[in-house]
Amino acid sequence: MTRSLKVAGLLAATSIRKGSIGVTLLIILILALVGLNLLFVPGLLGGLVWGANAKVIQTYTADIVIESKRESLLIRDVDHLISRIEAIDGVIAATPRINMGAEFSFDDERTNAVIYGIRPEREKQVFTIHESLIEGSYLDPGDREGILLGIQLAGADQPDIELYYRSLRRVHAGDRITVTYANGLEKKYTVRGVFHTEYIQTDLQAFVTEKELRAVNPLPPEHATSIHVNTAPDADINAIVAQISSIRNDLKILTWEDYAGIVRSMTDSFAVINAILNVVNLLVAGITVFIVTYIDVVNRRRQIGIQRAIGITPGSITLAYLMRATFYALAGIILASLVFIYLVVPLEAQYPFHFPFGDVYLRVELSGMLRTALILLSAALVAAFIPVWAVMRIKILDAIWG
Amino acid sequence: MYEIQELTKIYDMGKVKVKALDGVSFAVQDGDMLAIMGRSGSGKSTLLRQMGLLDQPTSGRIIFDGKEVTRLPERERAKLRLRHLGYVFQEYALLGELTAHQNVYLPGMMLGEEGNNYRERARELLELVGLGERMNHYPKELSGGEQQRVAIARALINHPRVLLADEPCANLDTISSGMVMGTLVRLNRELGVTVIFVSHDPDDRKYAQSVLVLSDGRIAERGGLVK
Repeated sequence: MTRSLKVAGLLAATSIRKGSIGVTLLIILILALVGLNLLFVPGLLGGLVWGANAKVIQTYTADIVIESKRESLLIRDVDHLISRIEAIDGVIAATPRINMGAEFSFDDERTNAVIYGIRPEREKQVFTIHESLIEGSYLDPGDREGILLGIQLAGADQPDIELYYRSLRRVHAGDRITVTYANGLEKKYTVRGVFHTEYIQTDLQAFVTEKELRAVNPLPPEHATSIHVNTAPDADINAIVAQISSIRNDLKILTWEDYAGIVRSMTDSFAVINAILNVVNLLVAGITVFIVTYIDVVNRRRQIGIQRAIGITPGSITLAYLMRATFYALAGIILASLVFIYLVVPLEAQYPFHFPFGDVYLRVELSGMLRTALILLSAALVAAFIPVWAVMRIKILDAIWG
Repeated sequence: MYEIQELTKIYDMGKVKVKALDGVSFAVQDGDMLAIMGRSGSGKSTLLRQMGLLDQPTSGRIIFDGKEVTRLPERERAKLRLRHLGYVFQEYALLGELTAHQNVYLPGMMLGEEGNNYRERARELLELVGLGERMNHYPKELSGGEQQRVAIARALINHPRVLLADEPCANLDTISSGMVMGTLVRLNRELGVTVIFVSHDPDDRKYAQSVLVLSDGRIAERGGLVK
């Protein structure tokens, strides 16, 4: 085996060194482009999924959502429950919400949405909506006259937003809007602020203080429609869910993944798209290496015949071609990785792709890069092997003299 | 060393079958220097290729060192070629991407001698054939005669029992031919290597100890010591 490796190494090294530099660079460039594609697409889709997940967690559900199994759909004894939840290791904070459907009007524009009654100080510990204000300010804890609107509700004179034409279109911080609650009560509010989280479902929400919503819709005290729990980044969410479940048995506890089915469906779709693109890319890589090796083998048929005639084993000759394919693939992978890490990722970070749930940044993971390298290498090896194997089946004299 | 028994080779050219060898039988002794001669198309090269295990006869037997090697699988034939047979092609057949030194030591590397002995031996062989100063030259930088001498050195790297040379001077001028044939004679006399060479030039008889003349694939003449 060592002999074969040495002979194959000598044949491979000399054929690369004495071959055309232009052709070698072209092969490496093509494989690097394929490698770049193999890195870019999963990087983009990974960034897309990661960005969507982050928006869902930070602005819509938090890490864990607790609802009630009871017929009334209300969680009882909320404050005591929250104090028990916040005592669990790994929990940062929890906040309760109550909600009610309502119709909003401003000048001639009308639209429908859900209003959430929140505890502003607790909300800030669980969500990042307060960091996404584009106008005005956040709610104060005792505010009974103010309302926060998502941009897809307010419109804010930004016709390029996705749902502008079903929004109130021209509402800004400081404007007075009319809210007609599902129970028929009508009330005017001053818009304290407009937020734009870039996640459409959050930007369709409106918030008033819990005190205000309780005044409008008298619920039993200490009751809420949902509790949202923020956990530490390294916390075991399933373990926390299990611990919350053990507190009471009338709670429906969902992780953000259970709640945000749209993201899971998107992730699954992206995985399929990613797999299809990877197969196409690998075919391109494989066919490139196959053509290069095939042309080379045809041109060197006589040389291969001579090698066999002087006693070089077919295994050593095949190994030489596989080594050469490995060199091309590794050079392509290294070039692709360098371009991806030091050019594409920083460039994309400066000019990120904009999606309905925010800017998407490429995700670079070592495991993904290693997987790409392995896949590209395997494709190159298989593609190189086939034409060499075919020539090895030809008789020595036919190989030498045709 | 060699026993050739009723060797026949028929080339199937579609509708036409060409009988290149027709029941050839003879033996070669250790240390012989045999010239296989004859006109073009007489079957000389075909015979040498069967003896060099580069091709398989249609019928007949080839016995080498007492063992029948006629129908060995390619893997075993490759081993025999590597260990015991040195083959010199008419048109040099060097590997263009390797230097003269690398061309010579490649089969030695394949055989797997200890350490780097094969490199040193390749250097010695190149000196033996008068090319010690040109060992780092590539084939295209050498003349035809020099390339053929590199091919001879390569054929000797693994201490073969027999050196088979197919018209080694066919493409060479008179001076180069003299040098190549002189090299083969020295190898035979000084190192005791059995040499079997093919030639269509009657003048080459003078280098041989024995002669086999082929005509239409049959032995037309078998001669002993020529000189």
